[in-house]
Amino acid sequence: MRIEVRHLTRIEGHAHLVVDEDRGEVTECRLEIVETPRFFEAILLGHHFRDVAPLVSRICGVCSNSHTLVSLAATEAALGVEVSEQTRDLRRLLACGEILQSHLLHLYFMAAPDYLGMDSIFPLDRRRRDLLTRALRMKKIGTDLCRVVGGRPVHPVTPRVGGFSALPEPSELRALRRRLVEVLPDLEATVDLVGGFDFPPLDRSAECLSLAADDGYPLMGDRIVSSAGPGVRVGDYRGLIEEYLVDHATAKFASTPRGPYRVGPLARIANGFAALTPMAARVAGALGLTPDTANPYRIVVARLVEVVHWVEEAILLIDTLLIRGLRPEPPVKAGGGGRAVAAIEAPRGLLLHGYEYDGRGRVVWAECVIPTAQNLASIEADLRAAVPALQGRGRGEITRRLETLVRAYDPCVSCATHLLKVRFTGRGGAP
Amino acid sequence: MKLRAGFFDFTGCEGCQLTVLNLEDEFLDLAGLIDVVEFREVMTGGGGDLDVAFVEGSICGPDQEARLKDIRRRSRLLVALGACADTTGINILVRLQDPEVLHGRVYGPGAPVRARGHPRAVGDVVPVDARVPGCPVDGGEFLRVLQALAVGRTPELPAHPVCVECKLAELPCVFDEGEMCLGPVVRAGCGARCPEGGDRCRGCRGLVDNPRSSSYRRVLEEHGLTEDDMLAEFRLFNLDGGGER
Amino acid sequence: MGERRDDGGSLWLPATEVDVHRFVRALMSAYEVVGARERRGRLILERLDDPSDLRLAYPPRVHSPKKFLFPNWEKLFRFRLEGTVRLEAEHAAPPRVLFGLHPCDLHAVRILDDCLFDGQPDSAYRAKREATVLVGVDCEPDDHCFCTSMGTDRVATGFDLFLHRDADRYLVQVGTPRGRGLLDRFAPGLAGRPGEPPLPLQPKRTRKRLVQPVEALASLLEEGYEHPIWNEIGDRCLGCGTCTLLCPSCYCFTVEDRLHLDLAGGERVRVWDSCQFDQFVQLSGGREARANQADRQRHRFFRKYKYLWERYRRTACVGCGRCSRECLAGIDPVEVLNRLLEERGVPGAGPPPGGEYRPDLAELVSAEPLGQGVKRLRLRLPRPVSFDPGTFLTVSVFGLGEAPFTIASAPGDGAHLELAVAARGSLTQTLHRLRPGDVVGVRGPFGTGFPLDEMAGRDVLLVAGGLGMVILRSLLMTLLARRRDFGRVVLLYGARSPGAFLFQDDLRRWRGGGALDVRLAVEEPSAPWCGPRGNVTRLLRRLDLDPGRTVAAVSGPADMYRFTTPLLTGLGIPPERVFLNLERRMKCGLGKCGKCRIDDLCVCEAGPVVRYSRVRDLKEAVER
Repeated sequence: MRIEVRHLTRIEGHAHLVVDEDRGEVTECRLEIVETPRFFEAILLGHHFRDVAPLVSRICGVCSNSHTLVSLAATEAALGVEVSEQTRDLRRLLACGEILQSHLLHLYFMAAPDYLGMDSIFPLDRRRRDLLTRALRMKKIGTDLCRVVGGRPVHPVTPRVGGFSALPEPSELRALRRRLVEVLPDLEATVDLVGGFDFPPLDRSAECLSLAADDGYPLMGDRIVSSAGPGVRVGDYRGLIEEYLVDHATAKFASTPRGPYRVGPLARIANGFAALTPMAARVAGALGLTPDTANPYRIVVARLVEVVHWVEEAILLIDTLLIRGLRPEPPVKAGGGGRAVAAIEAPRGLLLHGYEYDGRGRVVWAECVIPTAQNLASIEADLRAAVPALQGRGRGEITRRLETLVRAYDPCVSCATHLLKVRFTGRGGAP
Repeated sequence: MKLRAGFFDFTGCEGCQLTVLNLEDEFLDLAGLIDVVEFREVMTGGGGDLDVAFVEGSICGPDQEARLKDIRRRSRLLVALGACADTTGINILVRLQDPEVLHGRVYGPGAPVRARGHPRAVGDVVPVDARVPGCPVDGGEFLRVLQALAVGRTPELPAHPVCVECKLAELPCVFDEGEMCLGPVVRAGCGARCPEGGDRCRGCRGLVDNPRSSSYRRVLEEHGLTEDDMLAEFRLFNLDGGGER
Repeated sequence: MGERRDDGGSLWLPATEVDVHRFVRALMSAYEVVGARERRGRLILERLDDPSDLRLAYPPRVHSPKKFLFPNWEKLFRFRLEGTVRLEAEHAAPPRVLFGLHPCDLHAVRILDDCLFDGQPDSAYRAKREATVLVGVDCEPDDHCFCTSMGTDRVATGFDLFLHRDADRYLVQVGTPRGRGLLDRFAPGLAGRPGEPPLPLQPKRTRKRLVQPVEALASLLEEGYEHPIWNEIGDRCLGCGTCTLLCPSCYCFTVEDRLHLDLAGGERVRVWDSCQFDQFVQLSGGREARANQADRQRHRFFRKYKYLWERYRRTACVGCGRCSRECLAGIDPVEVLNRLLEERGVPGAGPPPGGEYRPDLAELVSAEPLGQGVKRLRLRLPRPVSFDPGTFLTVSVFGLGEAPFTIASAPGDGAHLELAVAARGSLTQTLHRLRPGDVVGVRGPFGTGFPLDEMAGRDVLLVAGGLGMVILRSLLMTLLARRRDFGRVVLLYGARSPGAFLFQDDLRRWRGGGALDVRLAVEEPSAPWCGPRGNVTRLLRRLDLDPGRTVAAVSGPADMYRFTTPLLTGLGIPPERVFLNLERRMKCGLGKCGKCRIDDLCVCEAGPVVRYSRVRDLKEAVER
């Protein structure tokens, strides 16, 4: 039976699903990434460093803040710019906002319909308006957090090399804090909701890569850890991660010396479970999520646990900022050249940006490694693993199950296809 | 009678669609105004005739052109949503690179060419009935355009420059801070969001209808900017006058 | 106790910063208090959250009171569309205090009153006006302010309270009973203090100033409607509307309907518009009036400095400088107006103070001795001048002074003229020592010369004695240049000795030329001379004149006139046709200093050439 789904729905970006099986034997299985590459590496060449972050923000609307933040970190590392504690905390808060916004969008708008037997969340307007309004209410906190810190939720305005060009008002932060505290009942209701989802069984362990939990639950840092082997410094990531081109995708795939790996919420749980906030750890326990969870369908659960975690962390971050008091900082005069790589845990997983600047502060080399691109090989391996268990079911049901599986990764295809440095290898799915 | 609406995306970052989804407060009112029958990012299903199609992203290659023409055929109204659709936005910056070098760099030497042709604006492929400029769009402006279409009026975008919004908001002028700003020739409607955030206007909404180019150029010269400086600024979102519509 | 009178009182109440702070805090319990405050590192005019937010010393970079009295976005009425249309009125204006307005902005409120209460009074504006308390504060002008030129640097009325600054404290002036009432209610301690006499207020000092008073502007613009300056401004202008948006007396607006998202209702609102925007004035058929930026800017100037001035007799521009301070294109109304003013000047105003005493600088081209200690100096003037023969120039040697000299040459190309200078005093001796290329100051020509039109067609008799020949040479050369216009020309010239005759080259040429009759007489009995001997009157004897046709011009030492002139009239020449050269030591040359007056006649103006019939009536004239 051949299953072809063109333009998968409820994922970010464009991809086709093609599965061909014969009596349970998968003869062909691929996720065709058809999103048009936009050549960001080429676009960046020659640009001054003050324009790099706003440009890379446009790689993806859903993770524009993550791209912006890691881009700034890489530029600052390359040019030797130090940032203040205030800047570090504000950036963490902005990252928080994006994770909340992105995860809640995914949970309610993209994933939940599958488990509620619907094509989208919109019909809930009539049947379960409370659920829809709750989804909107919760997501809005993330959106507003991004707006207050970044100036605009999509493609932020205020983050710049060395700090921020405008700061939030204390009153705005206080109001957000109140809403974060008041969202707890909504969080509980979401836990109940997700707890009721009927996740199909699928057990495929995979190597999990994420940033180290040195400074709390993985978010920023310069150490990559793996659940299956030694880790590396971010700057030496090529020693662990290898990217390659496949015929059927305009995106790169990636693997470690051991094969395909996962990044994202499940990987972070695997490597950083111990750093979860108490409330998040309780929710994980209630939902049966552990560091050994290997069912990719349950990435949705990991996402919810992260929402709980980051709601708590956001409150703490706001308190720290308010107690310290926000002080405007003058723009930084940076110059000269340099080269560096930085990393961040974007909502979908490990994201790296590397740049080299010449003496005039202009880009001569740029590259990034995208979370979704790193997951593509895993997704295909999961699809292969899922098909046999679906033997005997109708085409419609098999299709829906496989789509749900792809969606569980919350792939961000726009990100995956901006395409940068490429090396041909004979590994994995390469022709 | 609710409008049957669809949201489509081509080559872009989907940030404009997300901005629409970020209208949490207006969501339910919006649902009273339109019936979203197609929205790939958050809905399965679709097809069929539409009253209004919102198209995000630039058009690259024959497959995308065909898809767009199909949407145009089955939609009474078509709106270009965001800079990529309206003026190609930053996608057009690939034109600054040699296509040979581009393909070789990205796909490796001798690799089959996958993306054909330069990105094009939606309006260069099919007729467009309305537009929402910006990168990303402004949620409020999207609602105003939608509302105008819903009551059968031609949407009107502001004809004055971003400076007006800066002055109304009592913001310090970017030029006074020693930076160059495209505000004087760029269309208002975003609330001067970027100057409000301490950055300069980068012109993502495209030029105003009647830009006072020579006066503006003189201002830039008086501030010591060279031709190269000016081009570099304009190039971000308005390469080759792509912002002039 | 301070004086308590219903007009607010004429004494000012002393207040410290702390008093003001407390007053503001108390006001905030009942009013929305708006003032200059900082938000995100910039100053804005906005509602205060805390009294400590308020800034009372601030540069005029914030919005003006119109932000609250005539806001950018104002609901006129609401409507609901379900079923039949229902209209709902808007709420009344909230009670508000604008705390800390500069005098210029208080003046601007009066202009808004003029305009918005004219005809059908604007009810929304009136409601806000009545509900808004205005508290003024002193300010320091910056480089863009020109309130002093507009008379708006100080304000006497139009406020409820005004905080004058006096070193480190304030003196509060009460402007209205409402202001007094607020003090009583919210600052009783301050209100009950003994008042102090008002400070003598000095006018402020601004760097920018109009070169003419504001009254000159209306007619200036009227005349300058077609001036090329409007095109220059139009080319520079970005059309961004900043000038009008920030102007405290601009209020043009457009009216729009805004629907709610559910389409069940909406508002009709008015929002600020600008005459600088495209499509501001629309004709039918979609055409636009005032379609180019030059016309738009001209309109702005005309409205502020002419139309409103003529209608309300109050300056509509208050010199706050906001438009030039914020204009990216650098359009500055003071520069524009001053340029127009300087080009036109104002009738009667003339040169800048002292200008008419300032000489031009002329270059000495040549200096030739004429004998007898007299030199002929030829000067090149910086600008051509026209003059009648008989007029004089004043010459300055800086450091020594200025003296008058009759012009010795005919009006030729106008840029050169000759003087004959006798070295007598220090100035003339210095003139003698000058070399070609040296520069002297010159003023003039001044005075009344020979009336050539009266001499035309007649015989001209010139009688010269000694140095008096200088002025007659000018006349003679003028006559000779138009020889055919005149009849017989006779020169009678007497000198003490043969060497004392001036212009001997000219004399020789004239004698041989035949164009005129030259007769010379020498006085000195022993001098070698074979011509007539004695004074010049001797030459009158054998003269065959037709007195009815003759005009006489006499110039010589003062006592020469006493015996010459009667002889001329005795010959039958009418006294009106005898012209004397009355020389005096003129000083100012402008009829002011009084040093050359004879009776009521001012020689430097009505002379030096004066009709004998006039001289006869001058009792103080030596020459009669």
